[in-house]
Amino acid sequence: MKKLDEGATRMRVRSIINFILMTKLAVVLAFAFSIQSFAHGYGQANLHLHLDHAPLKKALKTIESQSAFRFVYKDDLLPADRTVSLDVRGATLEEVLGRILANTNLDYQKVSANLVVIEQRAQAIAIAQKVTGRVTNGKGEPLAGVSITEKGTNNGTVTKDDGTFSLTLTNAGATLEITSIGYVTQEVKAADRLDIQLKPTAADLNEVVVIGYQSVRKKDLTGATGVVDMTNANRITGASVGESIQGLVPGVTVRNGGAPGENAAIEIRGVGSFTNSNPLYVIDGMLSDANTTVNTEDIASVQILKDASAAAIYGSRAGNGVIIITTKKGKDGPAKLSFSGKYGVQSMPKRWDLMSAPQYLQTVKTQYANSGLNLTPGMAAQVANNTISTNWQDQFFRNGPEQDYNASISGGSAAGNYLMSGSYYKSQGDIIGNAFERSALRVNTEAKKGRLTVGENMMISATDAQAVGGGSNPIYDAVNLLPVIGVQGDQYKTIPSNPAGWGMGTTDFPTYAANYVALSQIDRQTATYDKVIGNAYADIRLFNWLSYRFNLGGEVSFDYHKEVRDTGIASYAAQPPLTSVYEDREQFTNFLMEHTLNVNKSFGKHNINGVVGFSRTQQRRDVTSASRTLIDQNTGLTTIGSAFGTPSAAGSTPLFWRAHGYLGRINYTYNELYLLTLTGRIDQDSRFGSNYRTGYFPSAAGAWRISHEKFFNVKWVNDLKIRASYGQLGFSDALGSWDYLGLINNSPRAIYGTSQSPQVGQYAATPGNPNLHWEERTQENAGFDATFLSGSLSVTFDIYRSTSNNVLVGITPPGYLGAVGTVSENSGSIRNSGFELGAVYQNNTRKLHWDLSANVTTIHNQVLSVGDQGKDAAGNPINYIQYNNFIRAQVGHPIGAWYVIQTDGLFQSQQEINSYVGKNGQMIQPFAKPGDVKYVDANGDGQINDNDRQMVGSPWPTLQAGAQFNASYRQFNLNIQLVGIFGYKIYDDVRRTADTYQLSNFRKGINPWSATNTGGTDPRLAVDVPTDPEVAINNMPETSRWLENGSYVRVRNVELGYNFSQSVFHGFFTTARLYVSGQNLLTFTKYKGMDPDVQGGGLGARGFDNGNWPSSRILSVGLQCGF
Amino acid sequence: MKKYIWVSLLILAGCKKDLDIPNPNALTTEQFWKTSTDAQQGVNSIYSTFHRTGLCRWIHFITIIRSDEGYSTSPNTEIINNWDVFNITDYNWGNTVAFWDDNYIGIDRCNQVLDNVPGIDMDATLRTQLIGEAHFMRGFFYYTLATLWGNVPILLHTSVIGQQPPTSSQDSVFAQAEQDFTEAAGDLPVSYDAGNVGRATKGAAYGMLGKCYMQTHQYAQAQQALAYLVTGGGAGQYSLVPNYRSNFIETSENNAESVFEVQNALNPNDTHDDDTQIGTSDNLNYGTSIPPFFAPRPIGFTDGQARRWPVAEFLSEATVAGGRDPRLAATYLYDSTDPRGPDYTMVYGRTFSSLGYSSDPTVVPNTHDVYFRKFLDDSVMTGEVFHSGNNWRYLRYADVLLLYAEALNAQGSTATAYPFVDAVRQRAGLAPLSTVKPGLSQADFLTQLKHERLVELCGEGHRWEDLARWGDLSSALSSRDPSFAHFKTGRDEFLPIPQFDLDLNPNLRQNPGY
Repeated sequence: MKKLDEGATRMRVRSIINFILMTKLAVVLAFAFSIQSFAHGYGQANLHLHLDHAPLKKALKTIESQSAFRFVYKDDLLPADRTVSLDVRGATLEEVLGRILANTNLDYQKVSANLVVIEQRAQAIAIAQKVTGRVTNGKGEPLAGVSITEKGTNNGTVTKDDGTFSLTLTNAGATLEITSIGYVTQEVKAADRLDIQLKPTAADLNEVVVIGYQSVRKKDLTGATGVVDMTNANRITGASVGESIQGLVPGVTVRNGGAPGENAAIEIRGVGSFTNSNPLYVIDGMLSDANTTVNTEDIASVQILKDASAAAIYGSRAGNGVIIITTKKGKDGPAKLSFSGKYGVQSMPKRWDLMSAPQYLQTVKTQYANSGLNLTPGMAAQVANNTISTNWQDQFFRNGPEQDYNASISGGSAAGNYLMSGSYYKSQGDIIGNAFERSALRVNTEAKKGRLTVGENMMISATDAQAVGGGSNPIYDAVNLLPVIGVQGDQYKTIPSNPAGWGMGTTDFPTYAANYVALSQIDRQTATYDKVIGNAYADIRLFNWLSYRFNLGGEVSFDYHKEVRDTGIASYAAQPPLTSVYEDREQFTNFLMEHTLNVNKSFGKHNINGVVGFSRTQQRRDVTSASRTLIDQNTGLTTIGSAFGTPSAAGSTPLFWRAHGYLGRINYTYNELYLLTLTGRIDQDSRFGSNYRTGYFPSAAGAWRISHEKFFNVKWVNDLKIRASYGQLGFSDALGSWDYLGLINNSPRAIYGTSQSPQVGQYAATPGNPNLHWEERTQENAGFDATFLSGSLSVTFDIYRSTSNNVLVGITPPGYLGAVGTVSENSGSIRNSGFELGAVYQNNTRKLHWDLSANVTTIHNQVLSVGDQGKDAAGNPINYIQYNNFIRAQVGHPIGAWYVIQTDGLFQSQQEINSYVGKNGQMIQPFAKPGDVKYVDANGDGQINDNDRQMVGSPWPTLQAGAQFNASYRQFNLNIQLVGIFGYKIYDDVRRTADTYQLSNFRKGINPWSATNTGGTDPRLAVDVPTDPEVAINNMPETSRWLENGSYVRVRNVELGYNFSQSVFHGFFTTARLYVSGQNLLTFTKYKGMDPDVQGGGLGARGFDNGNWPSSRILSVGLQCGF
Repeated sequence: MKKYIWVSLLILAGCKKDLDIPNPNALTTEQFWKTSTDAQQGVNSIYSTFHRTGLCRWIHFITIIRSDEGYSTSPNTEIINNWDVFNITDYNWGNTVAFWDDNYIGIDRCNQVLDNVPGIDMDATLRTQLIGEAHFMRGFFYYTLATLWGNVPILLHTSVIGQQPPTSSQDSVFAQAEQDFTEAAGDLPVSYDAGNVGRATKGAAYGMLGKCYMQTHQYAQAQQALAYLVTGGGAGQYSLVPNYRSNFIETSENNAESVFEVQNALNPNDTHDDDTQIGTSDNLNYGTSIPPFFAPRPIGFTDGQARRWPVAEFLSEATVAGGRDPRLAATYLYDSTDPRGPDYTMVYGRTFSSLGYSSDPTVVPNTHDVYFRKFLDDSVMTGEVFHSGNNWRYLRYADVLLLYAEALNAQGSTATAYPFVDAVRQRAGLAPLSTVKPGLSQADFLTQLKHERLVELCGEGHRWEDLARWGDLSSALSSRDPSFAHFKTGRDEFLPIPQFDLDLNPNLRQNPGY
């Protein structure tokens, strides 16, 4: 260390002392001590110091306690994150201070024999090279407090809040070492101007993970907890959290809705209920639903609690898993402004390849000829002279713009922090008449004073969705409408109920599909959701090891739906309904109050941390609806009051419940080697029947960090932790608010008295079921977390089994009970089992930084019981619940399994038909002709009917996988995300409607069998007439003809970004990143429908593609910048 | 810290109550049954059971069409199979099950009253009456089940999901009904004021109690119970009305002859028969829909009609004045409801001949057809709709008199029984039995009584239980009602227990032969 020029420093030192003397009493005392020390005349120091990761301040205090030296310094001068480890005996002050202040920008000055002033080092060193630069993270956000050191020297500095630094090197062209906790250390060759991007360490084991009422280090996790990489999640343009995490976390199945503002369906480790598979969402400690009202840009982290140990703290609501969402907070430092904007275009990723008008007419001609039928005169006329050719997909589908803007300001200090963010998202959708819009404001603040921390998180959001009523599905209709029908024309005005002349099916060219262009004008729906959600908390540190927290959460939303039905019809043979206006208004409130005590204490090698608490929840929904027929066509007014027909009204409180939970968790760690977690929750819920008012949900988990054992000596394994857990969860959100109650029915009317007037009667129509309670999940989990190769590869593996018991099943009670309708019973049982594997690999050693994450999941879903459903006509116990006659949840099979008649190719000749006979020689398909579908007579009774249905295939994938690739080179960065779903069957109901060859356009790709095309793979082209019944038999819906392999690999997202150097904008932006992205760019699949990623018909029919709206392809360009 | 613990404890203390949330959309069992009005409305709901399809429509098929009085030419062949020709196609056949269910819905309504009303702080006299009414109605439902299904489960308290009561024998079911009627008889008033007339009375309870004992052949007890109406405390309350037909038309309901009458009224706005459909009570049909089911074509659908053989029974004896028994015209619409023949017989304002029926007896409809008239509204209407307000005179004093006579005769007091039969005959204008057939043996008197009951009560729903009591149910009845050709003794005395219920309760037994 270079000595300072004495004369120059003396002046400065004096002014510092004056300043300090004026402001700090403590220093006065210190000074007084030092004078006293003078008096005692203590001589040169002989210091014995043992410091282990001591903060600088503590180090200085320790010296003061051992010697006469007194230090004077400004508190904020000492870098808070700098610690010192020293073990010296009999050292001099110079030696000690030299080591303590090494690698800092501090110097010291003895202003008297015992008084030492610590101050910032003067810039008087020889200037070899001056380096300025900026350090950012992968998202282009500046990183503060990153240490920049000239390698091989003590020369260094740290970055400021905007990530910038400036360092004067002692050697030109030296290597700089850039280090920051949680990031991979980088070395770069010095240059005058440096832009450095730090990569988070792949396995940042010290990363803090929220596990419900507590945060623990990731390395201390014992349960199966999935942590979403928000870097990847935020690349996805979507309205909901669900969409953004598809493919990112093993064990989490996300199926997209497609329509603007439609929620994605999320399932954690399969489906364990016949009623509800939604996980519980915890947003900043508030139990709520993360639907499309939450702006995904506001989210800082998402954690997914998958097993009983992780989720048990949420007891009776955790059975379907828990998703914990933490929103962003302000960080220490001056106000930081940031803005991001994204503009994109949505389109259908795939369309049906349908026939044009000339092709259609030609095919119809052939079809009629095959059936020996003459075309109707109207058909013949149009065949002879067709002037219409409509591509209905062009009419219904569009390229819809999508916009997403976010702006935020945040900052903080020791006294607190704040974040305000505003956002606007609009998705026009790729089908006409549909749109979704959301504006949201978030304010998160936190104030600290002494032992008290008070904070709040609040969001206000307003969403507005537009849709088309009339019960039409444009995905079907685009296929089923005929190309020889015009969109609108005078020729269609001949039908009195079609004054606007919308094109639709005719007697000559019948189709019952709706003209969606027409519907979008005559049946308009709007839905608005206005919501305020947030929580406020107070945290008191009672002791260093014990703190109390009071948390109050609230959510209020006002939902409003409106449907206006104008005059006119949109499909063939439709009844013209009266014009009408319908409105409903709903108010939803959700309140949470929690008291928790958190403990964290170490005794030597033992650490115990945990939480106990009480939680109270209340939810309520009130609904009022009204409608009135006959809207006033002249004025165009569409309020209920302006209509003049028959009014009607309804209203109720469909939801109102409360729950009390007593929760506790203890994490015990011994020497970071053995970990044990015991979790339990006792829940009481107003939705439980009187015999089951209290539920107990215990779980236990243990882990062994085998890599820390002395005997473990595998160099390439940095960390290996083996985990196992067992526990019980409940699921209460399948219950309605009063399902257990016998409700009083006021419908009965008695007649008596001479006037014979009706007298009101009341009684309990349905007996209460005091045994009604939560569904149970018994979950077992085992797995390991490991990091290899100096932390560049991390792997997590889990094997799980979750058995649902007492699952709610609707049972019709026996008549002798006098009950009416079905009642719910806790009598079903479902099992989900499988394994999950996730791995992340990072390579940051070269200029090209890249990482690759991949995960695979298997889910084996099996129905074990559907309760006592009685017996069927044949006297066999009914061991299934049916969605329809070819989709079942049957014992021994997965939910939604296909129960169909199997096909066995096409009949190639009459002889083959004749020889296809049953046991008694009767023809099995007597009406068949060559080119018809051959069905398997599974029960061998010589005929084809529903008794031949068999369990064939499953809508459950054998494997789900996701992969993400990130790379950055200089200022460029790239993100690629893949989703792959393998080994399952989808029922393609849209194709079924087209391939019946009736009432629909034809697919171009059909290859009908005929005598001249015996290689044809589709049934013969014929008209369905009574004289040819086999045509209808070909088209039976309950057959395997409509099942298709749904496996697919999708390029979910590709994003290429460029981080601008600060100098480009002359320092106006601290960060600026421009990117282009493509979402759902490519899908590799054999599935013939528009999109194999189907939500299907709900829980009971997950693989049933009933015209599911495909996930849009979105091409967008975006900008992120900070000021 | 302590402060917070206390705050927490206070919050926890309030918990239990906090978790009881009333359903704002409907009252619950716990909230109900608190006031006198609740008690009254609970009893009202029991009477409302009579407006459910099982009891306002299908019971008449099961008791009338199934007996040798009636048959079916319904286009719905299930009615013919299951309720006429003893060819049970389906133990879960919807209409039979609906009737079964309705009886138990009624029983549950009674049980709820009986479980809850005794605890209500209210006027003791009214409470006693309401409890009596519930006992009466529960007895009524068990009596119906005992006569039609025989061996059924007995439930005496509010139903709880998961209950699996065993099958009780027919005797036990009757015994339960007897017990209920006995309790009702003790609690019920002799009569009601104008605002309450039509509710169950003490006389009704004794009448039903008598019927129970009759069905179980306990004649002394039957005589004793029925004596209340005939010679006992209730004797002054009942008499035979002069005009027989006034027992079957809407303008003379709840008359002096009425012992228990199912009360119907017309709701012009009705859309449904289901009194458990919440929130739609204003549209409940609280009348009966049997008239369109029994009225002659084309006025009704005529799913049920009368056999012709009883006509001869009416014609077998002339009145003292030399005329035709007036009960014939009150009982049937047929080609000679007017003794002058089809040209004079009026059917809903039109002559029988103008209906254009075929004379070929194999054609439906034909001129030989006979239709039950007692439920019809041809006295006031020219057509029929689903909501007739015409009351069903379930138990008439004439019936009580004949049962009383039967009970006396069964005990050997044949001579003593004569006056009660004579009273019924004399109202019809017939000569006293003591004059035309004096000194009949016990057996012959019973034979005579069978004739008397047929002509007095035909088409009112008592024939099935009469035949059962007399042991006359057999394929031998096919000589007058061909539907009985396939009647299987040992099986068809009872209806099949619904398979639904059997499947969910291992303690239940199907009736023999099924």
